[in-house]
Amino acid sequence: MYYGRATDKLVQEQGECGGVITAVLIAAVEQKLVDGALVIKRGESIYDGAPYFATTKEEITEAAGSLHCAPTLSAKLIKNDFNGARDLRIAVTCKPCDARAIIELSKRNQIDLDNVYMIGVNCGGTMLPGPAREMIRQFFDIDPEDVVKEEIDKGKLIIITKDGQHKELSIDDLEAEGYGRRTNCQRCEYNIPRMADLACGNWGVIGDDAGKVTFVEVRTEKGQKLLDTAIAARAITLKDAPPQGIALREKLDGIMVKMARKAMATQFAQFDGDHKFERLFAQFDKCDGCRECIDVCPICSCVECFTKQEFVVPKDTVPPDPMFHLTRLMHVSPSCVNCGQCENVCPKKIPLATITHMVQSSVQGTLGYVPGQSTADAIPLSKIAEVKA
Amino acid sequence: MSQAEDATEMDERQWEPSILTFCCNWCSYAGADGAGTARMQYPPNARVIRVMCTGRINPLFIVKGFLAGADMVMVLGCHFGDCHYLKGNYTCDMRMSYLKAYLQAIGINPERLYWDQISASEGIKFAETMRNVVAKAKALGPIANEIGAYVHGTRQNRSILGMSAFDACANGEGENGSTTQEIAEDIW
Repeated sequence: MYYGRATDKLVQEQGECGGVITAVLIAAVEQKLVDGALVIKRGESIYDGAPYFATTKEEITEAAGSLHCAPTLSAKLIKNDFNGARDLRIAVTCKPCDARAIIELSKRNQIDLDNVYMIGVNCGGTMLPGPAREMIRQFFDIDPEDVVKEEIDKGKLIIITKDGQHKELSIDDLEAEGYGRRTNCQRCEYNIPRMADLACGNWGVIGDDAGKVTFVEVRTEKGQKLLDTAIAARAITLKDAPPQGIALREKLDGIMVKMARKAMATQFAQFDGDHKFERLFAQFDKCDGCRECIDVCPICSCVECFTKQEFVVPKDTVPPDPMFHLTRLMHVSPSCVNCGQCENVCPKKIPLATITHMVQSSVQGTLGYVPGQSTADAIPLSKIAEVKA
Repeated sequence: MSQAEDATEMDERQWEPSILTFCCNWCSYAGADGAGTARMQYPPNARVIRVMCTGRINPLFIVKGFLAGADMVMVLGCHFGDCHYLKGNYTCDMRMSYLKAYLQAIGINPERLYWDQISASEGIKFAETMRNVVAKAKALGPIANEIGAYVHGTRQNRSILGMSAFDACANGEGENGSTTQEIAEDIW
């Protein structure tokens, strides 16, 4: 585990905390370790971020820095638009849910993991652009378009406006009012991307270094290769992380996990109790059957969807037959990575991710499977236990 | 009046549980045959579907069974090691344990799913299991208590009319010669 810093002055400035990720990506592309880097590039404002396949130093530098109001998911993109990384090597910046989704897809032979270099970034949660704008207008009392930078740090949402004003509010308070992070992020127990090749972030950086260096943890051989390439190209400098820093990072992670468990309990409670089936379907019956949730889901990768068969879900009824949702739940929930995409794209605002996560939390004990952790554990129900007591 | 109200108002003596039963072709189905040829008495509540192997049963068949009004679903297969296809019943066992957890999660009592192993020679066990399961189903009550109006898909479709109007929109004109815009206004 290291503290790292980019050597290039421009990269240092553009990057978030020392610019290690940007520098590593540039080195990997320039040394031909990868063909390109899949990054999130800022668009018109801080609420606008889109995935971008960068192949030059300039393009990568342009995409440096974090965006908390652009909850994209790169896993399905790699599968659909890059042919599962079968013909080209990609370095990709990942939130923990991106990394987990990529691992799940690789287990389903949809992504060639050998060609994907995952650079994970700590993530305490992301916000939807629309509600974020509204929140900034309402709670900070400024025009959301004046905000030039946002940051989530130590449980606070910090924004910086055009005229240099700093403002901050506690995320807990915002979430109590129904704003703040996406609900799936509130429930997320994976804040450090330990399943990626490199786990980077600003947690655990103490003393004078705070804000100037990036905490880097090497998780796999591929991660080591990325770092070695960057060091050989003199793009970054590393020093060992102090033990207090490592302990602090663990502590922060522990606090976030505890908060996530609390959020789970409160969010799942709305469906508990008698008539659970009818409570669930009070939500599902809002459905128009647009199938957008299936399109974005990183777990749904069947060529022929079971729900497209007439005997399972009769065509042209609104809302769709209950079997549509029950099939989706049954297929997705054991492997759901809680990325929240289904809920975000739903035009009827059905809390799909919440329900899927709730089902997952109750079947997990039986299956003994935690999705997206390593390629070594088999997909649930895919391996037959031959010996039965 | 919804199905749920119907079912609860019905006299308990009148209501008979219907039990969807999946039987493996090679063992339990022959076991049921055995019970029949030996003229054993057992309640007639089971609706038997013969499958070539319990490993063929998609858990969603069972979920769909509940939605179609089965009060209990029974899956009967071979004993471990006896499967005609070597591993089919292991697959089934794995799926059934997942399905029980899943049913619990969506608010259907997992007790409503019964999975057991009956060989071709166990006619007695078949009759006995049938009696036990019917008693259990009676204790659990109608499925409508748990899934309400969703049994048999009796629930109202929200906008079937809207959908046909949409089709009309696609053709450029609606019923009675109304324009696309008028139809759209009607829908919303």
